Amino acid sequence: MIKNLSILLFICLIILQFFGPSLPEVSNINPNDLIDNNPEIPEDIKTTLQVSCYDCHSNETKYPWYSSIAPVSFLVVRDINHARDELNFSNWEDMSKLDKASALDDISDVIIDNEMPMAIYTAMHRGTSLSNNQKESLVLWAEEFSDHMFD
Amino acid sequence: MKNTMRNPLIIMIITFFPIIFLSFTHKNKTIQTSKAADVNYIIPNDIQEIINNSCYGCHNNDSKSIKSKMKLNFDKLSTMKIGKRVGKLNKIHDVIEENEMPPKKFLKKYPEKSLSDEDGEKLASWAINMASQYINE
Repeated sequence: MIKNLSILLFICLIILQFFGPSLPEVSNINPNDLIDNNPEIPEDIKTTLQVSCYDCHSNETKYPWYSSIAPVSFLVVRDINHARDELNFSNWEDMSKLDKASALDDISDVIIDNEMPMAIYTAMHRGTSLSNNQKESLVLWAEEFSDHMFD
Repeated sequence: MKNTMRNPLIIMIITFFPIIFLSFTHKNKTIQTSKAADVNYIIPNDIQEIINNSCYGCHNNDSKSIKSKMKLNFDKLSTMKIGKRVGKLNKIHDVIEENEMPPKKFLKKYPEKSLSDEDGEKLASWAINMASQYINE
């Protein structure tokens, strides 16, 4: 009985593989990218952004092997599409100054509130959770970078 | 005699008039630039009333909702650094335009706090105007 059930489940999983949505596109050349267009961003901030944010909030996603396997792929596709909709660092220079200011303010808010990076993401990706020092510098940077736009 | 007295006076007026005129235009210009550099964050009374009725209850220093207070605190908006303030003001505009605030759940309990279309429009355009004045382009 259990054997039959597991065979059925296995068959279902195999079939599911053909119906999964395709993963959001990856592009490593992005003319409007935040980091590429703002060389004044400090190195430690660049690293933090690239390691802990860029996987979802840019077009430079590095997919782990399991991300294309259904049903995990369903979650990955949903989360990355949602993340890019909210804020995509690859399109930074396309944004208005006002929207940039709001995005930078959102960055501070979600970091202070521990909303980002998402717990499920840091659990699955070693080294992506932020230390208190990293959080503090990221929040300070976001405020300064925003102020600097209105000098 | 009267005529000769008159002539220098007319000449004087003719020569001084452009100088006086120029000095005024110059003054006007300096007033304008100092205004542009020294921007004001003003909440007119009608806007304050709208804020008090529909927003301030959650978005103030003593709010019980830590999240609402963190996202936007009207008591701190005037002393915030410019970048942050612009970000918040732009978001006020966006959430009102998108009908995201006040939250629907909250309005079910307190229907009197809802924003009329007219008041929402007023608040949203105040916020975007306040935010836009900081852009130097």
